[in-house]
Amino acid sequence: MVLKNFGNALKESIRKLISKVIIDKKSINEFISDIQRAMITGDVDVKLVFELTKKIKNEILKSKAFSKKEQVVKIVYNNLVKFLGSEGGRIDTGKKPLKILLIGTFGSGKTTTCGKLAKYFKKKGLKTALLALDTFRPAAVEQLEQIGSKAQVTVMLNKKEKKAHKIVKEFKDSFKKYNLIIADSAGRDSLDKDLIKEIKSIHKALNPDEILLIIPADMGQAARTQAVEFHKALGITGIIITKLDGTAKGGGALSACAASEAPVKFIGTGEGLNDFELFNPKRFVSRLLGMGDLETLLEKAHEELDLNEVKDLGEKFFSGKFNLMDLYQQLQAVRKLGSFSKILNLIPGAGTIKLPKGMLDLQEDNVKKFKHLMDSMTKEELENPKVLNTSRIERAAKGAGNEVKDVRLLLKQYGQMKNMVKKLQGGNLKKMMKKLGIKNLKALEGMDLGGLET
Amino acid sequence: MVFSFLRKKIKETINSIKKERIIKKVTEKKITGKEFNNFFNALELNLLQANIAYETIQAIKKSLEKELTGKQVSRRSHEKVIMNALKKALRKVLKECNSNELLTIIKESDKPVSFMFIGVNGSGKTTSIAKIANWLKKNKISSVMAACDTFRAASIEQLEKHGKALGIKVVKHKYGADAAAVAYDALEHARARNVKAVLIDTAGRSHANTNLMNELEKIKRVIKPDYTVFVGDALTGNDMIEQCRTFNNTTPFNFMILTKTDVDEKGGAILSASHTTGVPIMFLGTGQLHKDLKAFNKEELINQIIK
Repeated sequence: MVLKNFGNALKESIRKLISKVIIDKKSINEFISDIQRAMITGDVDVKLVFELTKKIKNEILKSKAFSKKEQVVKIVYNNLVKFLGSEGGRIDTGKKPLKILLIGTFGSGKTTTCGKLAKYFKKKGLKTALLALDTFRPAAVEQLEQIGSKAQVTVMLNKKEKKAHKIVKEFKDSFKKYNLIIADSAGRDSLDKDLIKEIKSIHKALNPDEILLIIPADMGQAARTQAVEFHKALGITGIIITKLDGTAKGGGALSACAASEAPVKFIGTGEGLNDFELFNPKRFVSRLLGMGDLETLLEKAHEELDLNEVKDLGEKFFSGKFNLMDLYQQLQAVRKLGSFSKILNLIPGAGTIKLPKGMLDLQEDNVKKFKHLMDSMTKEELENPKVLNTSRIERAAKGAGNEVKDVRLLLKQYGQMKNMVKKLQGGNLKKMMKKLGIKNLKALEGMDLGGLET
Repeated sequence: MVFSFLRKKIKETINSIKKERIIKKVTEKKITGKEFNNFFNALELNLLQANIAYETIQAIKKSLEKELTGKQVSRRSHEKVIMNALKKALRKVLKECNSNELLTIIKESDKPVSFMFIGVNGSGKTTSIAKIANWLKKNKISSVMAACDTFRAASIEQLEKHGKALGIKVVKHKYGADAAAVAYDALEHARARNVKAVLIDTAGRSHANTNLMNELEKIKRVIKPDYTVFVGDALTGNDMIEQCRTFNNTTPFNFMILTKTDVDEKGGAILSASHTTGVPIMFLGTGQLHKDLKAFNKEELINQIIK
């Protein structure tokens, strides 16, 4: 049920990328438009999506990483993580009293988050108090009162006073008794002038150290406008994403980050006061893009592949001159990242790609053996395997300390690979993908977001 | 206005057709597939920005494509042809229902008519219930509200305050009480005192939480409301699809209220919700006050989008 529609968007696209023998500009473009779609369906501001992906694409092209699949994914990942506040924005609680003001649209979860924050910091040993400043919504004060008693912190409130800034003044003197004051405020549309006036008066009276904008994970394209206006009025210092326990991706938070240049600090993941976590940008990006934890794969990608090797190989593929030498290079490239099927397993979803059985053998057990065999062949034999007659095969087997059947197996594998190359040239990509066990051809062809490419 | 953004954008797209000659200007011609794609690519971006979910946009595309590709247009008519096709596509996506008919049904019923309100956290269920109670009252229909959200802090107090302001009785138990039991009492109360409508509040829940969704299904099975009403937040983005689809699968609903339509001019979620479920929209929430409830009018909305 969960994430069934677009959740797999990027998983699919990475699968696409990995399943491609060659990464060229065209596949980069496809990959970028897949990311765009994943982000847009994850509710990131549409304009921001294009800005970001343009930047990402430039970086990919500039770094020439486009011949390295994993590098491409890494660039995307790093860019987004950086954007969200890579250090996972802590709140510095050194100051006493530290005053935090929570703001946001209606029903975004401000009051509940007040309780969660209070409990979080109370556990850290800080003397915390809640300040009830939502004087508008019926029973908002009572709600904070009940939450406060659950979190076992003081709640400063005045049920009769309707002017929130007066409540601030009323309790101002007792603030210093606490390490932390967390102020709730009424939900508001940041485009509503009167409501902005009210929050400004609260801001003036309270003079908060942190102004945290609450963005529900399911908020759509309104997130950016709202964040821009809130930021203009008050200056946002951080963002909390709520309701991340649903299926929504929280893309609105990304838009809010862009609008305020403030980092995301916490996330809410449920209705209980303990359903609250420090923000982990990496995990969030994975979720937004619909991929699992790519950390391991990314670490692997650190071990640089020889760019030129792979690039040459790519050219060979397209020129049709694929010989044993090229197979040799390819095997070396694969070995640097571990076995092929291992790489596939690192990527959620991609592990399901079924390579033809023979090809898997090639990637796994026999890689070393094949390398030795090829080491004992002459340059002529490698460049033109056709010359390999029985006596040459016997010699190569002996030289490598292997048997004739191993050489035959190598040649068979080579034949398979060459066939695939031919098909690739013949534009017979579909058949090949089918052979690779990629069933969902429609998904691979993309849903035509051509216009999204910038 | 909910859709002022989209209206502006559609206008821009159409103008760009003229300026950039997306559709070639000859006296009489057919729109080709390529021309359609070029046009739709430009439009698609605007639809996305208007907060319409991706899936819904694809449905609009399909409908437009069928309507436009191969269509004979003259130099002057293409704008009108496109606008009409768009209108048609929107008509397919949107469903409305008449709130006046509902009033008649309640008035003519010889037993209380019950409504159960469901939705995710913070979508505005409690506020919407108060608005509905106010609307019924204005139409001289008595109602009682049932505080069946026994989970969220101060939810009962919230409903009570609305009740007090509107002069409408709230039936309540303690926090943690069985929601179905509260609803049962409210129905009993209505029967005994000849109250015409029973408005049942429920706790907000994440559609992804299977336990809570099962609980909701159980509550519905026990209290058998005459109408189930989905309250959706119009600020919701693509997740609207998943939300209303899951709710509709677990506890099928009869009509929807979309709230917070005054907050943003990009009301795309209205289209997403209606398209996904095929369930009609009855009201739009347009503000924080009890009177801020607007009967949903499909043609009016479409005319707002396309002039």
